[in-house]
Amino acid sequence: MPPRLKRLLKALEREDVRSISRRYFISNGFDGALTGVGIAVGAYLSGVPDGLTVFKIGIGAAIGLSTSGVWSVWEIERAEKRAELKRLERAMLTDLDETRVQRQKTGARQVNALMSGLGPVIGIVLPMLPFLVEGSVLSMRDAVLASVGVAVAILFTFGAYLAEISEQNWVVAGLRMGLAGVAVALLNVLLPG
Amino acid sequence: MANVRRLVLDLLKPHDPGVVEFASAVADCEGVRGVNVVLMETDEAVQNVKMTVEGDTIPFETIRETVEDLGGTVHSIDEVACGAVVVEESETPQD
Repeated sequence: MPPRLKRLLKALEREDVRSISRRYFISNGFDGALTGVGIAVGAYLSGVPDGLTVFKIGIGAAIGLSTSGVWSVWEIERAEKRAELKRLERAMLTDLDETRVQRQKTGARQVNALMSGLGPVIGIVLPMLPFLVEGSVLSMRDAVLASVGVAVAILFTFGAYLAEISEQNWVVAGLRMGLAGVAVALLNVLLPG
Repeated sequence: MANVRRLVLDLLKPHDPGVVEFASAVADCEGVRGVNVVLMETDEAVQNVKMTVEGDTIPFETIRETVEDLGGTVHSIDEVACGAVVVEESETPQD
């Protein structure tokens, strides 16, 4: 197994790494799913004629949000982990460069950034899939409804997952998250323009 | 030069990696047959531990490198036993 992959898998075994990655993943996945709803409803209301165009716009948004997720977290975690290392070095009165501690922090940062970028990909690409069958299986209106449905389902899953790890009611938590998707769709319809 | 059979080290280490990982990593060194780590003092960011290493040919440099790779530092070598047998510290009237 390549050493880099091994380091990433090793980092994923750590609860602190999983916890931070989970936050980035869900937070950016949430952004992605709501952006997906906005694109779907907005495209329909603006009169975009075919599903493939909506899909392409969605992919563009996914690339943008995903790049933002990876880039920002890469920089945030570089600063945070460097600060942690410096604090530790001051307490230890030693240089921790090239130690396992430093390598672990680098691995953790890579996992954090990766998960941060993966969230919006899932959040946007999946809701855009119904637009690929617009014209053959679904009408434009049905593709929009299916797209919003998929986005709400993703949000529900995020909520249910968060509830599971925090021992809450998964139905309530899922509905609370899913409601955001419905709210964004309604806002798009109700707001002028 | 006679084989080192027992080493007692005073170490300073970060909380993470934990004592189990520290002890396992040193126990994996060639020539080491067993390791014992005792927590002596714990601070906000660091821990002071006493590490006892026993084996037939303890490679001190390798152990120090392993400890340093894990982010620890060897403060002092508190006990060494070398030779064909492990000689225990003997009591003297001053004790």
